[in-house]
Amino acid sequence: MVGKNTILKNIIFVVLLIILLTFVLLPFVTMLSSSFKPDNEQNTFPPQIMPENPTMEHYKGVLNPDIFPFLIYFKNSLLVAFLSAGIGIVISIFGSYSFARLEYTGRAAIQRGVLLVYMFGGVLLVIPLFQLITKLGLFDTRTSLIVTYVVQTLPVSLYMLGNYFRTVPESIEEAAIIDGCSRLEVIYRIVIPLSAPAIVSVFIYAFMIAWNEYLFASVFINSSQLRTLPLGLNQLFYTQHYVWGRMMAASILTAIPVIILFLSIERFITGGLTFGGVKE
Amino acid sequence: MKFKTDRDAKLGYWLILPTVVAISTLIFYPVFYNLWLSMQEVNMNPIQPNTFVGLAHFIDILTDLDFWISFRTSLIFTITTVIGTTVLGLAVALLLNRDFPGRSVIRGVILLPYVTPVISAVFGWKYLFNPVFGQANYFLVDILHLFPQHINWIESPAFAIYAVIIFNIWRNFPFAFLMILAELQSISASLYEAAEVDGASAWQKFKHITLPELKFVLGALVILRTIWNFYKFSEVYLLSASVNVLPVYIYEKAFASYDFGQAAAISAILFIFVLGFIMFYVKKVLEW
Repeated sequence: MVGKNTILKNIIFVVLLIILLTFVLLPFVTMLSSSFKPDNEQNTFPPQIMPENPTMEHYKGVLNPDIFPFLIYFKNSLLVAFLSAGIGIVISIFGSYSFARLEYTGRAAIQRGVLLVYMFGGVLLVIPLFQLITKLGLFDTRTSLIVTYVVQTLPVSLYMLGNYFRTVPESIEEAAIIDGCSRLEVIYRIVIPLSAPAIVSVFIYAFMIAWNEYLFASVFINSSQLRTLPLGLNQLFYTQHYVWGRMMAASILTAIPVIILFLSIERFITGGLTFGGVKE
Repeated sequence: MKFKTDRDAKLGYWLILPTVVAISTLIFYPVFYNLWLSMQEVNMNPIQPNTFVGLAHFIDILTDLDFWISFRTSLIFTITTVIGTTVLGLAVALLLNRDFPGRSVIRGVILLPYVTPVISAVFGWKYLFNPVFGQANYFLVDILHLFPQHINWIESPAFAIYAVIIFNIWRNFPFAFLMILAELQSISASLYEAAEVDGASAWQKFKHITLPELKFVLGALVILRTIWNFYKFSEVYLLSASVNVLPVYIYEKAFASYDFGQAAAISAILFIFVLGFIMFYVKKVLEW
């Protein structure tokens, strides 16, 4: 029955969809358009979406280490995010296997303890951690960020991986044990290969959190050589490097790796099961 | 369990040990250390000893008008954003809960605000909210004439809170959307068919079938978003440092005025407040 009513409904649907997409995409469109606009077009009013004389100069500027330290920040972010996600994934593979498959007294209590972490936001920890990091002599080192990010992402990683490990049929593991495998061999030869998509997703989740983090980085890091992207870009905003086009190009280049990583695991994450464990 | 053995139990302890050590030293210990700091006059040099002052910081804070103004800002920010993200997430989930061409692409696009690094998204919004040439002023002032003149959305404390709220809703509604959509798709179609046979209107179906089915996910979203937004720092501070929510207040007390003891006391108060909210909410609203 394709009546007037259905057509009207479809029109309303499309209009709402366009409003929604405008709201969602406007900041991205603005960033992209500004990153291609020459300086004299940045302040035109009323605002223009399409640059009249598109230019690549801002991207060239951002990638030129002589005028903009973007690549140093990028390297720092990459290093910190990669190492914290890597260390985190090893700890959480062991931990979540222990939760999912091994029985011992106190397991439930430890699991609840891990869940408690959800109640502590970064802002509650930044003062005592700053004191602790300084006393340990880790102030102004990448190590301070790596250990902090590993711990911040652990609860979610444990939750996501634990859920996935429980879906690996126990009978396969039992058969392997009868065949003479030790538990560690079971983890290494069966659980890890079967859980590859979950492990990759959790790694990417932890990577994204570290890539994004500003609060701890702003407090633990002092020298400009060690700044990560969020810290470095925010500080550049208040200096003579403050050139709209260049900041926008830098923002785009900061976002692209994360968006690509996310799209690669979107199908897995949007299953709902895993997203349920996210912590901000 | 056939394979439950002492060796398994021992291995279980060894495998969970790194997690326990990491979380105890870098989460639980700092939380208690923070409580201890809140009762000290903390020396600016962390190597130097502190002086015990008891509850003096707490008395100072609770009698300080600035604290209560900041507390009010936090309340306004949290309440509006929790409502905004949940309602918008629900509306978008209802809108997209049907088959249409390009549905999965659009779903991916909607998640972009949530996955983009805060620092990138913030620069995009700073440009939109620019007082001189931003689209926000162009649209609201020059086209709709809602305000007599251009507004400094980022730096004026009176208006920056709106910018921060809009930014937060834009960034976080996709999370609510995704959780609600997953739940919507699990509602059995036969419930709606039965209601249609009984002649129920669209609103009745929403009120008597959809909402009750969504009760759990909505309840969870509200509590999570409340906790997260009470603690929210970067999304506020990076867009506008003039919106003085409690986390920003704590940050500036600690790392701009170096008053670590007071800052620790404020974070203790913030934590107690959030804890109280969680207990009240779980008991009275979720009725667990």
